[in-house]
Amino acid sequence: MAAMAAMVEALREWAVAAARRDAAWRAAVAACAPLLASLAGLAAQMRAAQRLAWDGTPLGAFSELRERLWRKQRGAAEALLEELCERREELRAVRDAVGAGAAAVLRLYEERAAELSLTEVLRRGPRCPSLADALEGLQDVERYYRHMYLEIRLFLLLISCDSLADMEALQQAWERILERYGEETVQDAFLKISLFLDNQ
Amino acid sequence: MFSMNFPFLSSIAKSPADGTPRRPVLSVSARKVKDNAADWHNLMMKWERLNDSGFTTANKIVNMKISEQLQDNKLEITCDNSTTESEKPSPKYNEELDNCCTELLETLKKMTKIQLKMEKLSSTTKGICDLEKFHHGGGSCAAPLFHTWPTAYFYEVSLKLSEMYKKELQLKQTIVQEIAHSADQDLMMVYLSSWLYQPYLDNSSKLLLEAMLLETGHRQC
Repeated sequence: MAAMAAMVEALREWAVAAARRDAAWRAAVAACAPLLASLAGLAAQMRAAQRLAWDGTPLGAFSELRERLWRKQRGAAEALLEELCERREELRAVRDAVGAGAAAVLRLYEERAAELSLTEVLRRGPRCPSLADALEGLQDVERYYRHMYLEIRLFLLLISCDSLADMEALQQAWERILERYGEETVQDAFLKISLFLDNQ
Repeated sequence: MFSMNFPFLSSIAKSPADGTPRRPVLSVSARKVKDNAADWHNLMMKWERLNDSGFTTANKIVNMKISEQLQDNKLEITCDNSTTESEKPSPKYNEELDNCCTELLETLKKMTKIQLKMEKLSSTTKGICDLEKFHHGGGSCAAPLFHTWPTAYFYEVSLKLSEMYKKELQLKQTIVQEIAHSADQDLMMVYLSSWLYQPYLDNSSKLLLEAMLLETGHRQC
């Protein structure tokens, strides 16, 4: 009984912290969208500058304007990329914190596993998941952050200001990532864990 | 003193006329240079605000032009199908577009005033340099007014900044003249981008200003 009580307490603590961190995760993910939209907008501006026949326009008389504008646009794009890296760091912090918390709960389970009978671990009611279900939920959440972080990291690494077409398509690529990682995975796991905890 | 009118003057205040008891009393030239540095800061901040509001207006103008073009294209298709050349509707007067153009001109006027004030700041600094030369003769070098900068360097920085803003203003004048008359979407986009990113204001301008504020004691290390 003591082992089960310890597991329940550890899971409860983890769930409270994970819910708070999930809010930080959602905020960081949401903050990426306007930055990517700005990058796509910049790409459109850079493309317009590339297509323009400068000499035939009223701007043709301005010396070095084309190069200067390009440098400024490039600088603005790099500043946006830096901001995106800051959001990535926020995501990494959530992934690490949730992962470390989950590892601690699983370590506790391994330590106390001998005191818990298999029946006790697998016992579930009509509206109450088992401890095994709750631990599975915990792993689902940890895996979700880990995989999504890796995908976002790769996505950000591959952004290059040299490919305007890629920059213009950033928003669509981002949407595809968001579609693949729907929020329901985490919400379902949180629900499973809270149902388990409420019934103890 | 023109910068007394600026609401954000409190961020960088000019040196008080009587001086505070704990600070060493500055010479008249040093006080003038310090005031000029504060003016530079305030004028550059005011310029940035005007640049932002001007961009919003220019953006509206471009959006209106693009939607006008879309409507014209639709009308053209309809006209081609149903009417002869003489029956095509004449271009409609767009009051909103006119208002935005007036607003943008107003912004440009304010920016022009700022640029003139910047030029005056440079010429005042030049005057201080000339005065120093007169006092100390051609050969001997006067002690720095603050920490390390020779007085001539203040003029050099002022002139550099002033030239940047002069060029940038010329670009903005062209943009204001042309933006509502262009039909080329790429050109409109370049006008907007040029307005926003101010290509003739080097990134070093902020560094120069901060260095000047640091040297004159407006900023602490």
